[in-house]
Amino acid sequence: MTKQKASQNPFFTSLSRFLKRQYKNTAQFWRQFSRNKLAVVSLILVLLFALIALFADWLYPYDFVTSNSLNNALLKPGEKGVVSYHDKEFEHLFILGSDNYGRDILGRLVHGARVSMIIGFATVAMALSVGGVLGAIAGYKGGLFDTLIMRLTDIVLSIPTILMSIAIVAALGNSFFNLLIAISTSMIPGYIRIVRASIISIKDQEFVEAARCIGARDMRIVLKHILPNITSPVIVQSTLNVGSSILWASALSFLGLGILPPKPEWGNMLSEAREFIQYAPHLLFAPGLAILLTVLAYNLIGDGLRDALDPKLKR
Amino acid sequence: MDRILEVNDLHVHYFSNRKTVLAINNLSLSMDRGRVLGLVGETGAGKTTLALSILNMIRAPQGKIVSGTIKFNSIDIFKMSKHELHDLRGKDISMIFQDPMTALNPVLTVGDQIAETVFKHEKVSKAEAWEKAEAMLETVGIPQVRAREYPHQFSGGMKQRVVIALALACNPKLLLADEPTTALDVTIQAQVLDLMRHLIKNHNTSVLFITHSLGLVAENCDEVATMYAGEIVEYGTIDQVYGNTFHPYTKGLFGSLPDYSEGSNRLKPIPGLMPDPTNLPKGCYFSPRCPYVMPVCKEEHPQDSIIDGHLVKCHLYRRNNDESKNR
Repeated sequence: MTKQKASQNPFFTSLSRFLKRQYKNTAQFWRQFSRNKLAVVSLILVLLFALIALFADWLYPYDFVTSNSLNNALLKPGEKGVVSYHDKEFEHLFILGSDNYGRDILGRLVHGARVSMIIGFATVAMALSVGGVLGAIAGYKGGLFDTLIMRLTDIVLSIPTILMSIAIVAALGNSFFNLLIAISTSMIPGYIRIVRASIISIKDQEFVEAARCIGARDMRIVLKHILPNITSPVIVQSTLNVGSSILWASALSFLGLGILPPKPEWGNMLSEAREFIQYAPHLLFAPGLAILLTVLAYNLIGDGLRDALDPKLKR
Repeated sequence: MDRILEVNDLHVHYFSNRKTVLAINNLSLSMDRGRVLGLVGETGAGKTTLALSILNMIRAPQGKIVSGTIKFNSIDIFKMSKHELHDLRGKDISMIFQDPMTALNPVLTVGDQIAETVFKHEKVSKAEAWEKAEAMLETVGIPQVRAREYPHQFSGGMKQRVVIALALACNPKLLLADEPTTALDVTIQAQVLDLMRHLIKNHNTSVLFITHSLGLVAENCDEVATMYAGEIVEYGTIDQVYGNTFHPYTKGLFGSLPDYSEGSNRLKPIPGLMPDPTNLPKGCYFSPRCPYVMPVCKEEHPQDSIIDGHLVKCHLYRRNNDESKNR
């Protein structure tokens, strides 16, 4: 009996309505987002990088891009060289040339994308979840908790960020996960401040009082009424941070605290290539351009997201 | 008739750097079911504070309900648990806010905002709540299709109607209308009032109608209370207060209206300002501005005098002083 009437079941009707609405919202969001051509191009670029990172092992085997073949050192882009790999010798086209150890630059870029993408996302996700929650509580609740958190934030901010990252990596040991912690820790204060300040500016507005007036609880007010109002600064901050955390990871790698060679990472490629800037500038341009494009693309996506998510800008 | 709201000896203070703002002082008020009570008074008289106290929504660190009770359907609001309060707000008592421009959340569609209230208080599915929201918009004269639009896509008058739809979505027993038409122009004002009157009649809602406008009170209310410096100085039916005004302050309010029949084109304001609520005068709060001030007014705070159900807080009417009744 009930199975026959599945289509009239209130649960299914409401579910299908919900899905339809969700679909409509997504479609509308995409319509808004796609209006910003630069953002779309950037999104495609980032997705492309992500795909490359995902399939890096198919494009270039990992041990191929980490092993030396000194007879191929410092090849120009497009030159060919004979490499021996797993006891087999074959001719290989170095599309972007090779570095001072004879390793394929493009191959290292591809594997570096993997590291950089993960660092960019993971650090921002970690910092946003910790900083966002703390900032939201501090801003909404106020009082002693607010004071406590903000003073702690001030203390953290007073330590030079690079110094703190060094201290954290030095204390926890040099590993990929500790690098993530080091970078995200220094980003947390920024999120706390942004989220707190935005919430304070929103929470005294009349519509929040109106929401309390219809019987909404604190949790609901924060999540449903306040959070959507503060997405734009948070999104802008996050996308900017994805870019800067990639740069930071590079900086820490440069100092020997991040991803160490021979593991490929854009930052350590850059720092290794410094010595050869006169003989082989392409060694610098390749990772530099990769960092530049990724950071730029994330920022443009952030702009597009902000515009698409803000209902006031909808036309 | 049964009492829907009973406020007794309410004191509400706001605390700021060493100063205490005496927002509501010893206020008592009662309302019967299905009646419309007009509350008039100057800016800063404590009208909005009273409305917020009824919802027990005085902001915690600065504002404090110092003493007194508010009973809604004979249940003490201040003794309610947080949970009970959440259920009370929006369902039994709801509020129309003064400024429709800021009372709606700019990033949620108006339909969402109404549906949220319905979903919260009635045992319905989200889809049903949404349908109710659309129906509610239709009752206030907004086409259903606009439920998916955001507040900035509406005009001020439409926003105010959305706010009214929001307040009436769950058929509240008591509606606190905090200057619902102050931000609107006169034509929209008439529309909105008409609409409110209609909805209130259909749902048998009691209304506390807060306004500056004596004209609106005369048109819409059954009873009227005049508020001055956090207390009610005069209370009575429309006929009592408008036909036979007792309190000098209410008289002053009437005097401040332009009277074209006299051919005068100047307003007669009440001289002076509201007393500083951090430093209220010793005797009657209105005494510094009162044209009928007596020595006793500066010394002693007046008690309520009730003459045929018409309440007045003034020394002129103490103990049914019949000879001063017509001054």
